[in-house]
Amino acid sequence: MRRILLSVPRIATVSAALLLLLVAVGANAAADMPDAALVQRGEYLAKAGDCVACHTAPKGQTFAGGLLLPTPLGPIVATNITPSKTHGIGNYSLAQFSDALRRGVRADGAHLYPAMPYTSYSKVTDDDTAALYAYFMQVVKPVDTSPPPTALPFPFNVRASMIVWNALFLDTKPFQSDPKQSAEWNRGAYLVNGLAHCSTCHTPRNLLMAEDGARALGGGDVGVWHAPNITSDANSGVGGWSVTELVGYLRDGHAAGKSQAAGPMAEAIDASLRHLDESDLRAMATYLHSVPPLRDAADTRPVFSWGAAGDDLASIRGVALPKDLNEMTGPQLFDAHCATCHQAQGQGSFDGGLPSLFNNTALGRVNTNNLVMVMLEGLHRHPDILMPGFAKDLSDRQIATLGSYLTQRYGNPNAQVTAGQVAMLRSGGASSNLVLLARAAMVAAVLLIVVVIGLWARRRRRVQA
Amino acid sequence: MSTSHSASVDNLVAPNPVRRGVLAGLLGAYAASLIPWALAQPVADSDQGAFLAVSAILVGRSALDAAATKRLYDALLANDASFSASTRTLLNLINERKIDPLQLQQLLDDEKSPLAAIPRVIVSAWLLGIVGSGERARCLAFETALNAVMVADVLKPPTYAYGTYGSWAGKPG
Amino acid sequence: MADTLSADFVVIGSGIIGSLTARKLALAGASVLILEAGPRVTRGELVARFRNSPRRSDWMSPYPPAAWAPHPVYQPKDNGYLVQAGPYPYPAEYIRQVGGTTWHWAAHAWRNVPNDFKIRSLYGVGVDWPITYEDLEPFYQEAEEIMGVSGAPNTGSPRTKPFPMQPVTEPYAMRRIRERLEPAYPVVSNTTARNSRSYDGRPACCGNNSCQPICPIDAQYHGGLSADAAVAAGARLIPDANVYQLEHDAQGRVTAALYYDPDKASHRVTGKTFIVAANGIESPRLLLLSTSDKFPQGLANSRDMVGRHLMDHPSTSLTFDAEEALWLGRGPQSPSSINTMRDGAFRSEHAPYRLDFTNISRVDGTSKSLVAAGVYGPELEKRLRHSVAHELNVKNVLEVLPLPEHRIALSDQKDAMGIPKPQAHYSIDDYTRRGHERSQADFKRIAELMGGTNLRFSKDGDFANNQHICGTLSMGKDPATSVCDGWGRAHDHENLFLASTGVLPTSATCNSTLNGLAVALRTAQHILSAQTSTPTPAATSAPGR
Repeated sequence: MRRILLSVPRIATVSAALLLLLVAVGANAAADMPDAALVQRGEYLAKAGDCVACHTAPKGQTFAGGLLLPTPLGPIVATNITPSKTHGIGNYSLAQFSDALRRGVRADGAHLYPAMPYTSYSKVTDDDTAALYAYFMQVVKPVDTSPPPTALPFPFNVRASMIVWNALFLDTKPFQSDPKQSAEWNRGAYLVNGLAHCSTCHTPRNLLMAEDGARALGGGDVGVWHAPNITSDANSGVGGWSVTELVGYLRDGHAAGKSQAAGPMAEAIDASLRHLDESDLRAMATYLHSVPPLRDAADTRPVFSWGAAGDDLASIRGVALPKDLNEMTGPQLFDAHCATCHQAQGQGSFDGGLPSLFNNTALGRVNTNNLVMVMLEGLHRHPDILMPGFAKDLSDRQIATLGSYLTQRYGNPNAQVTAGQVAMLRSGGASSNLVLLARAAMVAAVLLIVVVIGLWARRRRRVQA
Repeated sequence: MSTSHSASVDNLVAPNPVRRGVLAGLLGAYAASLIPWALAQPVADSDQGAFLAVSAILVGRSALDAAATKRLYDALLANDASFSASTRTLLNLINERKIDPLQLQQLLDDEKSPLAAIPRVIVSAWLLGIVGSGERARCLAFETALNAVMVADVLKPPTYAYGTYGSWAGKPG
Repeated sequence: MADTLSADFVVIGSGIIGSLTARKLALAGASVLILEAGPRVTRGELVARFRNSPRRSDWMSPYPPAAWAPHPVYQPKDNGYLVQAGPYPYPAEYIRQVGGTTWHWAAHAWRNVPNDFKIRSLYGVGVDWPITYEDLEPFYQEAEEIMGVSGAPNTGSPRTKPFPMQPVTEPYAMRRIRERLEPAYPVVSNTTARNSRSYDGRPACCGNNSCQPICPIDAQYHGGLSADAAVAAGARLIPDANVYQLEHDAQGRVTAALYYDPDKASHRVTGKTFIVAANGIESPRLLLLSTSDKFPQGLANSRDMVGRHLMDHPSTSLTFDAEEALWLGRGPQSPSSINTMRDGAFRSEHAPYRLDFTNISRVDGTSKSLVAAGVYGPELEKRLRHSVAHELNVKNVLEVLPLPEHRIALSDQKDAMGIPKPQAHYSIDDYTRRGHERSQADFKRIAELMGGTNLRFSKDGDFANNQHICGTLSMGKDPATSVCDGWGRAHDHENLFLASTGVLPTSATCNSTLNGLAVALRTAQHILSAQTSTPTPAATSAPGR
């Protein structure tokens, strides 16, 4: 019997080598994954992250950029993230891709504006980042065109200012599983807070345009649309929704007796959420049910529980329309434009495909911006027009009359619509003072510095004198 | 309606004045047998009560909406000042001669009764929601007219969407 | 006279044909002015009017005529606007408002079959068209793509490109009819300008079952959309402009259109080219009104052909109760047809016809019948539900031959604007009657196959009208027997074109709108090619979306 003599140094060397090998294998686990599977995972994750929502312009080439994101500071132009070597990210290394995705820093060192939700994507794991990288580099078709660069007004065109902003608001800690929670919950937390970046819209922002963590998922505004409260609160949020209902909503864009997705959420479902696995949607729903409840005082009952079937037909049958159609009453407007699909008592069609107006969050929220937006633009799920828009058919006043009638009759009677609100939304939203404020603040700061320097200089002269 | 008659009927039905209404007194035994549910229907006065009773007998329904009753009654009376008197006379006729609703029109036409137009006027109002004729015709109900209600489990009234695209392919009912 | 407006092209009439002709010219960069006699009306108003109407089966009740642009109405009283000279009444209905009559139609959008263009050569009846099916084919396609036409294959009209959309989903009732009539009768889904998917920013059909008189959701194409499209393309549309005369110069070129506004103030509009697109009755009326010393019989009328060869599609029908509960009223109003009698050797003997199955809800009609019959008590609901569930109706759509004595002329009676009213001379001739008689065998067999009882044939000698006004401005090679040439240009006037179902020289068996529209688009293409001195292309590209 021969004994293999291993000295301690030898054991140490071999162990170290083995350890290094293991670490190397671990680190390159993603890279060692058969390419096809990695790329496929990357494609799935790109859907979860909804990259096309910003990086593909309407009728534009996939991921070639060009979409203008309206912000209170001015439009931000989404860039070309195809692997074009001349106009896209074709020369990016994995590290550079990761920095852009998770730190908001471009390969040339410039900072991205947080319109790119890197504050959410910072949660994405290394493995998932590598999968995304593989997908973008190997599968996405390179497009050799550049959209125009973003040009925000001074001082916001100074990208370096993002360094300070990031220091204040960017949490670079990667996602940490909570061992006290189930695997499903953790998966949901990872998706909701990471790639699905729900907080980007659904969390309100402070004056510096950063998410207000204290009100996580408590509702935010995205231009003219309102992304509602999706905390676990039973009245204001989704606490009263079953997991099945939530999953159905995320997958199909509607839940009977609850709600239907419109505007940017409809787009998110079209491009992203409906492609996710059932298990991932369940995980997200499970997580949402645990988000600390935030209640808006105005929601004295669940926002989906308002209203009942009914009509005011007796006030309009046998009555001629007024000569000036702007004088049409709520019931007359409802009859001429809404009852056709939503039916005479607001109850919706036999098959439920044309939804009921009562027991519908569309009329249950005190914030009626989404109601107005749907009345103006309709509701689309590509390529179908599920509800046409009435922007061309109805004046601001008619929409106000009709909207307020709808909430009285079929929804939350405390909610109302005003003509001024309609005009504002129709024109693209409230104008922002942010640029003016920022410039005024800078001027004030400069003046303050000048005054301080002046005072100090005078004091020095006095001292010297 | 004689006091003694209503007094005797009063003893048979619940003494709640709101629920008792006036119909109990108007309906003789035959008419009541046609529309037994109506005994408990509250009505504002005996004219509307007679109208409700005749309407119920003619359209064969087991309930008639109170607000619609008033609305149609007011419109019919506005068109024809003698309408309430004619309706009462018709009710009494039906009751006294125990006329089967299906035979009523033939009988009135054969006898060239001055009441011959009344049943059609009443049924048009309830079934089609239309009051008046020719250039004076008015629509008072469409979706809530009985002809829409009677088929509402299968059909929507014209101009109302049946449902999403293709939903009409399946077998109805 | 007040102001003088001017444009390269003056189009009189903003219906589907006038508006889409104007649109095509405007898209090519021309200045276009559309003069519409009637007012603007919105879809919401029309829906409200229908629901408040005491005469819901009267499809004209949401469209009361404007005092300054009257059109015929017959209920509750005949307004006497279209004077009937007989011997057979011609109670045509049309709408004088922005968008015209297709605000209320069933949206049938069939093409003629190729033989429809040469019934004289083939069958010895009627006239041959001055153009062929092949000449028109690309313009059929163009019209179908603009409107959004959905259709089934094997319609008998050959195609070089597919339909823009699949046929609209077959209602249950129609499926059962199709299944029970096989193999004796092939029942096909109708070719219609109705969306079977979202198209051109408009939703798919939702089965509102009110195509006539109004589609509440614009799933069905209509002239209101055409008028909007013409304006979006750069045409200028003036409503409430009742054109009562066209003026000309010494060479017979049309120089101006005169119109009344609602206050009867006169306005003058000048232009280089004039296109009359004011439907098959108002167009010949305008030409006949435009008399002068040089043209005492009116414009385009040196051979007394204007208004002659009036044709429409008469119908007779059978109503019966089917064995099964089918419940008409679910889905669009007119989903299915039998096309086997649209063409064949028999056309030398009797009129061809299309057989049309209605899907219009029976509720209103049945209610009225029950009231009229004095059905009261619990029986009322029972019988209403039974009839509504079981009643079916099949009708024929018969061809009418072009006869010169059938015509639109001017009456000596004047309308509210002091303009001579149109007058109809019409009858149903033996050729058409023999077609009706032949169709009775089909009616009976269809009822039999459906297990039908309670058969009610339409009254003998009564022919319902379908509002497909043809022939009054017939196109043809011979000026002695036609008003305009194969390009729609009036024989007598170089700069006067006619765009209307009135130019169709035979009526065939399908609704006239698509045929009239395709002819008009070809006319517009010809006008544009003449401007650039290029020959009219055989194929046109579909309009961009």
